[in-house]
Amino acid sequence: MSALCFELKRRTEQRLDLSSLVPARLDGLNRKEIESLSIATTREALTVGDAFKVKGRDVQTLHFVGTDDRCDKIGAKLKGGEIVVEGDAGMLLGAQMKRGKIAVEGSAGVSVGASMAGGEISVGRHVGDQAGGVAFGETFGMKGGFISIGGDAGDLVGERLRRGLIVVGGKAGEYAGGRMVAGTVLLRGGAGRYAGYGNRRGSLILAGKPRHLLPTYVDSGVMEFDYLRLLETWLRGQGMRIRLGARARRLMGDMAVLGKGEMLILD
Amino acid sequence: MPELKVKGVTIVETFAEAFPMVGTRVIITAPTAEWAMISARTMTGFATSVIACGAEAGIERTVPKSETPDGRPGVAVLLFTMDVDKLQTQLRNRVGQCVLTSPGSACYAGLEGEKTLKLGSSLRFFGDGWQMSKVIGGRRYWRIPVMGGEFVCEEKTGLTTKAVGGGNLLVVGKSHSAVLAACTRAVKAMAEVRDVITPFPGGIVRSGSKVGSKYAGQIASTNHAYAPGLKWHADSELPPTAEAVLEIVIDGLTADAIHEAMHEGIHAIAKGGAREGITHITAGNYGGNLGPHHFHLKEIVG
Repeated sequence: MSALCFELKRRTEQRLDLSSLVPARLDGLNRKEIESLSIATTREALTVGDAFKVKGRDVQTLHFVGTDDRCDKIGAKLKGGEIVVEGDAGMLLGAQMKRGKIAVEGSAGVSVGASMAGGEISVGRHVGDQAGGVAFGETFGMKGGFISIGGDAGDLVGERLRRGLIVVGGKAGEYAGGRMVAGTVLLRGGAGRYAGYGNRRGSLILAGKPRHLLPTYVDSGVMEFDYLRLLETWLRGQGMRIRLGARARRLMGDMAVLGKGEMLILD
Repeated sequence: MPELKVKGVTIVETFAEAFPMVGTRVIITAPTAEWAMISARTMTGFATSVIACGAEAGIERTVPKSETPDGRPGVAVLLFTMDVDKLQTQLRNRVGQCVLTSPGSACYAGLEGEKTLKLGSSLRFFGDGWQMSKVIGGRRYWRIPVMGGEFVCEEKTGLTTKAVGGGNLLVVGKSHSAVLAACTRAVKAMAEVRDVITPFPGGIVRSGSKVGSKYAGQIASTNHAYAPGLKWHADSELPPTAEAVLEIVIDGLTADAIHEAMHEGIHAIAKGGAREGITHITAGNYGGNLGPHHFHLKEIVG
């Protein structure tokens, strides 16, 4: 059975709410019923059939083709299955998802994987602010799972992160790991100002020394971390070509809050 | 009935009687293969028999870098006891005293199972509040700051209640040196089998025991029927030519693994044939009424 495919016909006037296009919701619906689902976000009516050409049948594997930055909430609250996006994604990609896999070839908007509890999101290029951050109405950011970003991330990556792992291949904006509660953020391409601001017990791993270091982090010097070896081995098992090494400089903070978090600056 | 012989060595028509046990596996890693082995050897020390050691433990195999969770050389250790509570206590004490203390070590789960044992989740308290928990790929690990750096320990490991303890082979021969050489060969062959350990010194027991004793309070005593110095006695099971008997005890995560190990063992013992002075291969049992697992040598040889 071929994957259920949604091909965007043209750029829409309004933003689209695609949260209904998840396996759990589509299971058991026929083509016509799927096409009549509403994806409008304004008073103007808009259905799946208006915006997308629908092909294929397997609801456990969804393909979005030619999507753009107005296609919001792709895979939001996903509970299983796989979503491939051959294009860009809008905001709240995979927000509050629990299980399953989302892979985006292009870029994604703000709040990728916001308050997600599990599963995997990979974005080939860039993401907006607050990746792994807090979804509307939630008190914590990402609570589990794995987000990998090939390109750059905006500000506040991993905001209020509670559990889980975020890997940013490119540069991260300001306040990376801002107010994180726990969990791990790995920044391979450096971070902007205020990295680790308000970090309680999370781990912020940086490939190089950030240009601005908060004064509320205290230095423990360099040592070897088997944890980094463990993380590297796991990431490689996920098909990521990565080398962390084991030596890192450890700074504890943010002492302005609990101070049990850390910044590991790879040696 | 014709006697079953392998290369002139008589395979006595009897069976090894074995008991249900609970077991677990952990993977110990270290900066070098040598240090992983030191740590594993320490953890499995004084663990030959549940009679007085609290547990039976041994090294199952070395684990190459490519297979360990942290990409360092590792050793897989199996630990067995008679019940889950004791297994938990033994695991905590042994990992806490022997692996946590070993330079550069880390300890990971080696068995998946519905039922689990606490590993890092009890050892983390050594961190005195400085411990840190990390979840990677859905598995929780504890990072405990220690003088040597950091001790990484997975939160829990699986256990099996299908484990079997007490699979055994008794090797009878015309000289101590011949029996020792044959048993050494057998232990080496059994080491290649997954899911089993031979918990005694070098895998070999020279003082097989029977249940009970003439002395009150002595729960196990010498297996006098197989002591060559007591061949004169009516209880003796030994042929007049026997000069020494050694035993190999096998614990395994499954009955099938023990079966396989005994098969490898018998053939390794008989490899030199009767020429080398091995006369009989037999096994220990209690009449078949105590243990539910019976490993018949005749079936195993085939």
